[in-house]
Amino acid sequence: MPTFVYMTSCDGCGECVDICPSDIMHIDPTHRRAYNIEPNFCWECYSCVKACPQNAIDVRGYSDFAPLGHSVRVLRDEEKATISWKIKFRDGREKNFVSPIRTTPWGSIKSASDYEVPSPEALNSQELAHEPDGLNINKLPALTPGQLKLGVV
Amino acid sequence: MFTSNPFADLTVFLPPQAMQVYIVLMIFAVVIGTVADMIHKKSGQYFIQRQKKSKADATRVLSGADKASLAVKTIVVEVATAGEFCNPQRRISHMLMFYGFLFYLGTTVVMIFGYPTHATPIPSIIPLLWNIGILMLMIGGYWFFFLLRVNVVRDGQPVFRLVLADLFIVTLLGSVTFAFIWAIVQSTGNLTATKISFGLYILFTTLLFGTVRWSKLAHMFFKPVVAFQRRVEEASGASSLPAPATRNERS
Repeated sequence: MPTFVYMTSCDGCGECVDICPSDIMHIDPTHRRAYNIEPNFCWECYSCVKACPQNAIDVRGYSDFAPLGHSVRVLRDEEKATISWKIKFRDGREKNFVSPIRTTPWGSIKSASDYEVPSPEALNSQELAHEPDGLNINKLPALTPGQLKLGVV
Repeated sequence: MFTSNPFADLTVFLPPQAMQVYIVLMIFAVVIGTVADMIHKKSGQYFIQRQKKSKADATRVLSGADKASLAVKTIVVEVATAGEFCNPQRRISHMLMFYGFLFYLGTTVVMIFGYPTHATPIPSIIPLLWNIGILMLMIGGYWFFFLLRVNVVRDGQPVFRLVLADLFIVTLLGSVTFAFIWAIVQSTGNLTATKISFGLYILFTTLLFGTVRWSKLAHMFFKPVVAFQRRVEEASGASSLPAPATRNERS
């Protein structure tokens, strides 16, 4: 179910624009409010739904298979570190969930700028950032040339 | 300069009635623009639908005192202190523009209708408030225009790529900037420069109040109503949002 924005609740802060991994949350040029420019490209990660400080973002199914009437609303509480979900089904049933907003302590994640600049060797390496340490292993498993099929190398 | 009535000096080349007629025309323009905007966006229809849905979903009936208390909270939080903004910089900028606009508009009307010529001496506080209003609008407005517009800051658009959403801020800034320039130029006694700056002031002011149908000026009427409705929904149990969590996951 892709996201959409309640224009009357959105205050145009742009938090969703920043957080959207698919870069489909943009600012409407007529009203300067956020909107989903391409719902069929939505990953349905709900990052924007959770990040919106105004609770202005909701989700809905595509109209060809899910007639409107259901809703998924989210309330984020940073102080209690909880996220509450209210799922309303088309037949009127309602389910409520509360979960911790994250599993690590608030503020414990370092931002990219907090890390040291990688060396040129590290940039040319096949390994990604924090590999293999971040995966809690000594070395990434890799095929040796002898294990590859003839003609690959 | 800041304590003299700039509109009284206009009588050198403009009869005082001209500005009075102009104000009346602008009031009509705002009313017509707001009504046209409501018809176009069907905001009245949307609001009535939302009210009906809210009544149907309500789990408790609010008394008149409850509603009065919610109205006071809306005026204090959403209207007077721009509480809906989560970004404190936008909130300060909005408040500077909101109160600046009230001073600017109110004192303009008072000066034009109450003190149209120098024959009626004006208390110096009125032109002073007019200038303070202009300065507040310029500080809040240029701050917003260059550093806070979300399509520029978050969406990465160039500052000077103007879109329809900029109509209100551009015409508002044009109006107050040229009003300020005109008042300064007029005090120097240069008639040609006064006429040019005054013409630009009138042009931007006419655009500001004449384009309500397309700009966001009418938000000052809609926003408090929607904010009040949201408070009513929350208080009556009709809000679609989940109830706040009772457990604190931080502790």
